[in-house]
Amino acid sequence: MKREMVLTVNGEEHDVEIEPNRLLLEALRDDVGLTGTKEGCSIGVCGACSVIVDGRLVSACLTLAAACEGKKIETIEGLAEDGELHPLQRAFVQYGGFQCGICTPGQIMAAKALLDHNPNPTTDEVKEWMSANLCRCTGYYKILESVMAVVEGKVDEGRRDEAVRQARIQSLYQSDTYKSDTSD
Amino acid sequence: MRAKFEYYAPTSLDEACALLREHEGDAKLLAGGTALVMWLRMGLLSPGYVIDLENVPGLDGITYDPAGGLRIGAGVKHRDLELCPEVREHYPLLRETFYKVAQPRIRLMATVGGNLSHGDPMTDPGASFMALDAEVTLRSSRGERTLSVEEFFVDYYETALEPDEILTAIHVPPPAGRVWSHIKFTPRSEEDFATVGVAVTLAGENSRCDDVRIALNSVGPTIFRARAAEDALRGRDLSPARIEEAGAAAADASDPIEDVRGSSDYKRELTAVFVRRALEQAAARLG
Ligand SMILES: Cc1cc2nc3c(=O)[nH]c(=O)nc-3n(C[C@H](O)[C@H](O)[C@H](O)COP(=O)(O)OP(=O)(O)OC[C@H]3O[C@@H](n4cnc5c(N)ncnc54)[C@H](O)[C@@H]3O)c2cc1C
Ligand code: FES
Ligand code: FES
Repeated sequence: MKREMVLTVNGEEHDVEIEPNRLLLEALRDDVGLTGTKEGCSIGVCGACSVIVDGRLVSACLTLAAACEGKKIETIEGLAEDGELHPLQRAFVQYGGFQCGICTPGQIMAAKALLDHNPNPTTDEVKEWMSANLCRCTGYYKILESVMAVVEGKVDEGRRDEAVRQARIQSLYQSDTYKSDTSD
Repeated sequence: MRAKFEYYAPTSLDEACALLREHEGDAKLLAGGTALVMWLRMGLLSPGYVIDLENVPGLDGITYDPAGGLRIGAGVKHRDLELCPEVREHYPLLRETFYKVAQPRIRLMATVGGNLSHGDPMTDPGASFMALDAEVTLRSSRGERTLSVEEFFVDYYETALEPDEILTAIHVPPPAGRVWSHIKFTPRSEEDFATVGVAVTLAGENSRCDDVRIALNSVGPTIFRARAAEDALRGRDLSPARIEEAGAAAADASDPIEDVRGSSDYKRELTAVFVRRALEQAAARLG
C-alpha cells in the first residue's frame, strides 16, 4: 500500500506518496524530480547512483526509499551554493574529470563522502575509495587528479602551475591501491 | 515483477522477533539491503513484509577482550569491522578478508550478519570465521541458541536460520597465537566475487602443525571446512609433499559449479593450488 512520507533531500522536505518497495533511486528521480542521480548497473557495482544518506555513501539502487524517511539525503543537486560550483565540481571541470558525464554525479558524491570524513586523504586512500565508481570514458586518472586537486586545496593554482600538476600526476602513478596484510 | 510488501522498522529486538513470528514465512529481514533489495527487485523473493533491523538496538558494536575474544553485532558494517583497531591488531585475518569484499561503498552498506545470513557460498567472510572457529547467536521469541559457523551454512542460499530467527551476533574466540593466511583469487577484477577463496589458521612450531583449520568459499554449495586436508596435516611436519597432499584433499572435497569464472574442473584444480599456497604462506609465519 502506498504511504505518505517526507524525504529530506539537500535540506528541503519533499512530500511523496510511494510504495514501500520503491527504491531511493526511483524516488529521487521520479517522485522528487531530481534526475542528477543516475542509474547504471542497478546492482551496486558501478556507483552512478551514489548519494549520501545521514553522512554515509550508499548506492541508491540498493536502498529502499522508505528506509530513508527522516534521514538527511544529499545528492549532486545540493552541492552548488548560490550558483557557485562546489570545489569538487570546479575541479572536475578544470581537469577534465568527465567526458560523457553519466558517472560524474556518482563520482563527485563519492569523493564528497570521503572528504567529509577525511579532508586529507592520501593518494592511496583516494584511489581505493574511488575504485567503487566506474567510468567508461576518462581512464580514471583525470578523476583522481580532480579529487587530489581539491585535497591539496589547489583547484585553480594547479591548472596554471605545470609543476604542481606534474607532481600530483606523478604521485598518482606511483601509488599502489592494494594494501594487503599478506604482503608484509 | 517486483512484489509489493509492507515495511516495518521495529525499535527493539523483541518487537522484531514478534513481527517475524507473526508473519512467519512471509517476512524478510532487511539489514544493509545489498543482497535483499537486489533480490526483491529481480523478483527472486516476494515477501509480504520487510522488517528493517536498522533501528533495533543491540545489533551494533564490536567488543574485544583477551579472555573472551571478539563479539561482533550482526548489524556491524563490513567497513567498520575492517577499520576496527582491535580487529586489525588481534584478528588480522578478518581485517584482510573484509578489506577484500567488494569495494568501499558496498562495505559501507553491507552488514556482517547480512553477509552470513544470505548463505551465498561465494561470499568471503564465512570462510575466515570458520577458520577462526567462530559461532553465531540466533534469537527468536522462543529463545536463543548458538551454532558454529560451520553448522550455520546448510546449502546454496540456505542457512540454519529458522523463519522466525534473527542472527544477533558473531563470536570469535581469542586468537591464541595461531598464524593465518587468506587468498581470494579474482582473475577478472579485484572487487569481483572469488573464483576460489581460502582461509587458513594454523598452530604449531618450526614446521610442525599442531592444529589447522582450512575453510573454502566459492567452490561448493556452501562455504566449508576441508577436513580431510586438515587431517593430512594435523600432528605432522609441514613438508612440501604433505602440503601438496592437503591441497589435493581439499580439491577432492570441493564441488564447484561452472559459471563465468570457469569450469568446475578448472576451479577444482585451482582449489589444490590455492590451498597449497595458503598453507605455504601460513607455514612461513610459524615461529
Ligand atoms: C556489487 C556487490 C559486490 C559484492 N562482492 C562481494 C564480495 O566480493 N565478497 C563477499 O563476501 N560479498 C560480496 N557481496 C555480497 C555482500 O557481501 C552481501 O550482499 C552482503 O553481505 C549482504 O549484507 P546486507 O547487510 O546488505 O544484507 P541484506 O541484503 O540486508 O540481507 C541479506 C539476507 O540476509 C538476511 N538477513 C540480514 N540480516 C539478518 C539477520 N541479522 N538475521 C537473519 N537474517 C538476516 C536478509 O533477510 C536477507 O535474506 C557483494 C555485493 C554486491 C552488491
Ligand atoms: S546503478 Fe547503483 S551502483 Fe550502479
Ligand atoms: S565520464 Fe563517461 S562514464 Fe565517466
